[in-house]
Amino acid sequence: MNPSLKLLLLLIVALEISFTNIVSLNVALVVLSIIYLLACRVKLRTLLWLLIVPLIPAIGLWSTQYINGTGQKELMAWVLFTRIYAFVFTGATLTLTTDVLALADSLEQNCHLPSKFAYGVLAAYNLAPKIKHEVQVIRAAGLMRGQTLSFWSPQLYFKAILIAINWSQNLAQAMSSHGFVEDAPRTHYRQIQIRTSDWVILIGGVLLLQVGVFVMPWR
Amino acid sequence: MKWVKDWYLSDIILLALIGVFFGIIFLGTNYIYDILAAVFAPLGLSQIPNELLLGLWCMPGMLAGYMLRIKGSSVLGEFLASVVEMLFGGQWGASTMISGVLQGVGSELGFTLTRYKHYDWLGLVATAATTTIVTFGWDLARSGYAKLQLWLLLLFFVIRFCSMFVFGGLLTRAITDLLDRSHVLKKTHTN
Repeated sequence: MNPSLKLLLLLIVALEISFTNIVSLNVALVVLSIIYLLACRVKLRTLLWLLIVPLIPAIGLWSTQYINGTGQKELMAWVLFTRIYAFVFTGATLTLTTDVLALADSLEQNCHLPSKFAYGVLAAYNLAPKIKHEVQVIRAAGLMRGQTLSFWSPQLYFKAILIAINWSQNLAQAMSSHGFVEDAPRTHYRQIQIRTSDWVILIGGVLLLQVGVFVMPWR
Repeated sequence: MKWVKDWYLSDIILLALIGVFFGIIFLGTNYIYDILAAVFAPLGLSQIPNELLLGLWCMPGMLAGYMLRIKGSSVLGEFLASVVEMLFGGQWGASTMISGVLQGVGSELGFTLTRYKHYDWLGLVATAATTTIVTFGWDLARSGYAKLQLWLLLLFFVIRFCSMFVFGGLLTRAITDLLDRSHVLKKTHTN
């Protein structure tokens, strides 16, 4: 499916389930997502991991409602419990199966996002492994001087921002020297199209969601 | 699309890089959150660690607004941070982006209400307050806060504001003071 339309569909789903209180709908979304992920040959271990990671926040929301809620405590507790899982699994259908480069290309070509945003964010994103290393370097450098830099230390962020300023100018310069011109029209080597089937899935998906929210007599 | 022209490629990369840096620094806080949430869960108060740490997760937006001083930098900063987090395989998926936009708009409102003139404590308190109000409104629906008892809501609101002020106000100010002293932001800072 076209990455932009997939993102749009998932945003609509996430917004709508935030305002509906139907346990079965959330469960149905999780099941649908798992079927899709299995069809895309996502590893079982990854799926299991997705089940474990949100467990603590989900139990937290559940117990908050169950103990301190008003009205239909039990229903609301389960709604929130399943809602978390619906967020996680519908989200995974994008993050686990869609290439970031394809998403950036699609947003630029199909949604007319200015190319400097698409490529700028992509450039920063691709530096992530280096940034991870750099954070370790900053912390190690601090330790050598007997400073423990934690997430509340201004110095840690200060040094991170200094590096970010430096790298952002280098990257922007590197991109211009490779022929990238801001706000200039571009041609594309990797073409991403929206097929009719993409629109059918998007509209069909949104309609199905409305059926799930308003028509189905759940429970 | 006039606002597009206000942004240079290097600003966009800078905000995205800051998003990645902060995202990586925050990774460790997830464990703290998990442990605290597990401790508070039997009391039905496991949202407290969330409220305590939320200011940290909203900091990229408030910091971007205070540091770059371009209209829309809070929204863009927080949004890019959330996009990067989502792409990293942050487990909350597309809802991360929705939260990111709302947190960004919340932080931006504080600077808008002070007419983009108060880059001092007033601006910081305003942005902490608007971020708290906007994100709290969203949690009334998303996290089912609307169904909670009133005393708990008030408690959560107060803790959230304190967290926003500590991380978005005090820590942001400490960071930008260090940046000011090193004169790296000459081109964007006016006062």
